[in-house]
Amino acid sequence: MFSEKLPVGSFVEKGIDWMTQNFSGFFTSIKEALSGVIDGTSWLLTIIPAFVFIILVVLFAWWIAGKGLAIFAGIGLSLIYNLNLWDKTMQTLALVGASTLIALLIGLPLGILMSKSDAANKIIRPILDFMQTMPAFVYLIPAVYFFDLGTVPGAVATIIFAMPPIVRLTNLGIRQVPADVVEAAKSFGSTPAQLLFKVRIPLAVPTIMAGLNQTIMLSLSMVVISAMIGADGLGRTVYEGITQMNIGKGFEGGLAVVIMAMLLDRITQCLGSTPQKSGKEFIKKLLGK
Amino acid sequence: MLKKITLMLISVLLIAVAATGCGRTEDKDTKGTVKLAYVNWAEGIAMTNLAAAVLEEKMGYEVELTMADAAPVFTSVSSGNTDAFLDVWLPVTHESYIEKYGDDMVDLGISYENALLGLIVPSYVEIDSIEELNENKGMFGGEIIGIDAGAGLMAAAEKAVEEYALDYKLLTGSGPTMTAALGKAIDANSSIVVTGWAPHWMFAKWDLKVLEDPKGVFGEVENIHKYSRKGLEEDMPEVTAFLKNFKMTEAELGDLMGVIEEYDGEPLDAAHSWMNDHEGLINEWINF
Repeated sequence: MFSEKLPVGSFVEKGIDWMTQNFSGFFTSIKEALSGVIDGTSWLLTIIPAFVFIILVVLFAWWIAGKGLAIFAGIGLSLIYNLNLWDKTMQTLALVGASTLIALLIGLPLGILMSKSDAANKIIRPILDFMQTMPAFVYLIPAVYFFDLGTVPGAVATIIFAMPPIVRLTNLGIRQVPADVVEAAKSFGSTPAQLLFKVRIPLAVPTIMAGLNQTIMLSLSMVVISAMIGADGLGRTVYEGITQMNIGKGFEGGLAVVIMAMLLDRITQCLGSTPQKSGKEFIKKLLGK
Repeated sequence: MLKKITLMLISVLLIAVAATGCGRTEDKDTKGTVKLAYVNWAEGIAMTNLAAAVLEEKMGYEVELTMADAAPVFTSVSSGNTDAFLDVWLPVTHESYIEKYGDDMVDLGISYENALLGLIVPSYVEIDSIEELNENKGMFGGEIIGIDAGAGLMAAAEKAVEEYALDYKLLTGSGPTMTAALGKAIDANSSIVVTGWAPHWMFAKWDLKVLEDPKGVFGEVENIHKYSRKGLEEDMPEVTAFLKNFKMTEAELGDLMGVIEEYDGEPLDAAHSWMNDHEGLINEWINF
């Protein structure tokens, strides 16, 4: 029984061949939809003049998190613009944004399902483990078979890799809603739908936001890896830098990724709650509360 | 709060989908789109961008260039998604890919002859042949710096260790770690032996020499081939004919690589200007 290797690898290869042959129409339509979303977002982001975009982000950062982040956003984004990496950054933002959005659209309902049903929980949990820990490189070749080279297979690999946290934390957040609150709502005659959308989910929002934050961070970490299969953006700059040992170029690209990651991280961390020093509170105080 | 977020998400999605309509511009004047993929190797960047320049300016095609890792590029050409890959090293380096994907691709012939693989040292190192490595083990610390596990060059290097009975450890790494180690050693003026190949940018950057290989383990010569997807010949006969004719000498490729290396913008622009300076050569390729 232990003398012969089980044909796991060739089984997977055959499965992928079979899927490419029989579902090509399906994959083509997914590919077109995805490239539509990504190209559209990226087009939208690049037609906004850089300085307008920077001002908007600075104001938003101040509004949501406070002065410190606003200053960081201003300096960081100007630096990216100065390094001639603006277009690449917008492409990366489009890739990360679209992947996160799709991960959210699939992940939220899955998380809710897991919190409602223990059976679903038992089935989905090991799948999430698999998705999250399988080295991301392994996704690259099947992604190329199904979706060709370019940004789309990169987004698919990113979605698979980045979705688990939002599912897990949605599930956790809803499950952690105190039983007495649920009891109280029930005793006032809430229907199950009201209970879910008006009590459980709103109370779970901070946890769900933490999941969203993790999902965004994981998609950013896929940026360079997806450049290996032809995805455009900052990852490509870094990848070109590494493969030609152009340390300066690689570092500049990496720096832009870090600036984006920090901005996205701080902003999403503050989405669930409003810190005292944020612009929102400042204006409230100013208006003489 | 939740309602607002949902509303925001939906509107972003709608805008994104709506925007695609105006984001794409279809050019009806061209004869079609040729999809070329390349790996980020200097000679591949040079040849692929030159081919793209010729296809665009001289032949009236649109060209879509994609940069990716070698394995995804072979996968994409063999599954028919990418039209051609111009940087296939044979008979040694990419042998394993051709074994796997060769049946699903078409060999369009050689674009560059006499490429080479071998063990490489900085030129100030005082040995000239692989046979001298064992006597100088201390100098090199008993290590040969290799590249990616599974690369054709690594298989050849393993064979060299065996054939010459080298008392050396062959370290696995990657192309970048190999060049990084080489660069570091050169900066420190110390001795190092690496596995390498030419044409490669490292020969332009540093003064290097290839160790003699009297037993011929690294093969006599390597040639760079062009491979297309199946069916390209039927779909775009002109493109295929051009790619078949595409061939460069060492001097031409070296010159082109140098121009691209020194140029501050996109390689494609550099390739365009190189093309305009070499009308004669280009016309040989496209006069069928």
